[in-house]
Amino acid sequence: MDKPPHRLPVFLNLAQIRFPIGAIASIAHRVSGVLLFIALPVLAALLHASLRSEADFASVRGLLSSPLSLVVAGVLAWALAHHVLAGIRHLLMDVGIGSELERARASARLILVAAPALALLLLVWGLS
Amino acid sequence: MRLNIYRYDPERGDPPRMQAYDVQPEAGDKKLLDLLMRLRVQDDSLSFRRSCREGVCGSDAMNINGRNGLACLTALDGLKEPIVLRPLPGFPVIRDLVVDMTQFFAHYHSIRPWLINDEPLPERERLQTPTERERLDGLYECILCACCSAFCPSYWWNPDKFIGPSGLLQAYRFIADSRDTASAERLDFLDDVYRLYRCRTIMNCTEVCPKGLSPSHAIERIRLALLQRSS
Repeated sequence: MDKPPHRLPVFLNLAQIRFPIGAIASIAHRVSGVLLFIALPVLAALLHASLRSEADFASVRGLLSSPLSLVVAGVLAWALAHHVLAGIRHLLMDVGIGSELERARASARLILVAAPALALLLLVWGLS
Repeated sequence: MRLNIYRYDPERGDPPRMQAYDVQPEAGDKKLLDLLMRLRVQDDSLSFRRSCREGVCGSDAMNINGRNGLACLTALDGLKEPIVLRPLPGFPVIRDLVVDMTQFFAHYHSIRPWLINDEPLPERERLQTPTERERLDGLYECILCACCSAFCPSYWWNPDKFIGPSGLLQAYRFIADSRDTASAERLDFLDDVYRLYRCRTIMNCTEVCPKGLSPSHAIERIRLALLQRSS
């Protein structure tokens, strides 16, 4: 068969694909990992700044008590919770625990619900 | 019933578009393929592959309402309207719902999908115990329709290097075969960051397999076999 002269189109519009629950847990795993990776140097820098002097500590504290920081903290708490839970899920599945479709679906659903709940707990605990 | 179908004509060169259809199923029309055959009477320019119409040849794989499946095994009952049909995701489109499967079959070929046994031929056939034969269940039934590989995000991003769920299931089918003596070489070939380890256990493959097989389980067994060998 002769190759057509122009490049063939490819259908790969992710918005038009109906993803199973496992795929949603997986992409959230990726996203949470990227968020944590980006946040880590910023958090380390903030910690470093807060340890410099009493005045610096106060200014970092002021910075972190804005409503926007609260939202960012919430997102990062979710990222941490989801990444850890999804990681444990994969470790178990790698050794054959819960790798059947039904159980994998159930555990994906579980971590998608548990991660925001855990993030909320972390946030409440952090604020109290 | 209303349908919305992906159209692409390579001779016109226009970008792909969606075309709406309305077709009335007749008595006895049970599956999506029945409806597509009626549609083709209305519009003979519509292209799709089909052959056995009973889930054995694996030709009519397509993306049905956002999920890959075989048109001949998808019941019309319960399909949300309009039924949106697109070609298999990530595969080059030749025309309408017909995709180029060259790369998919190249991966299949790469895992050497035939029995390798250097021992002298027995007088009659190579025998297996019932237990040995049972190990092939859930593996030999694959019809190479590509529903799984075309639903695998890892395969979408690395279709040239990752063998994909279908090829890996076939690879394990021969590793698991008691009559095959090339398991070590087969495992050597698969032990590669791309060929095997691009799998991220998303399990989209097992979700959509129209034959109810579990490529993700076969991949897990390959990984465990590699692990056992190295320890």
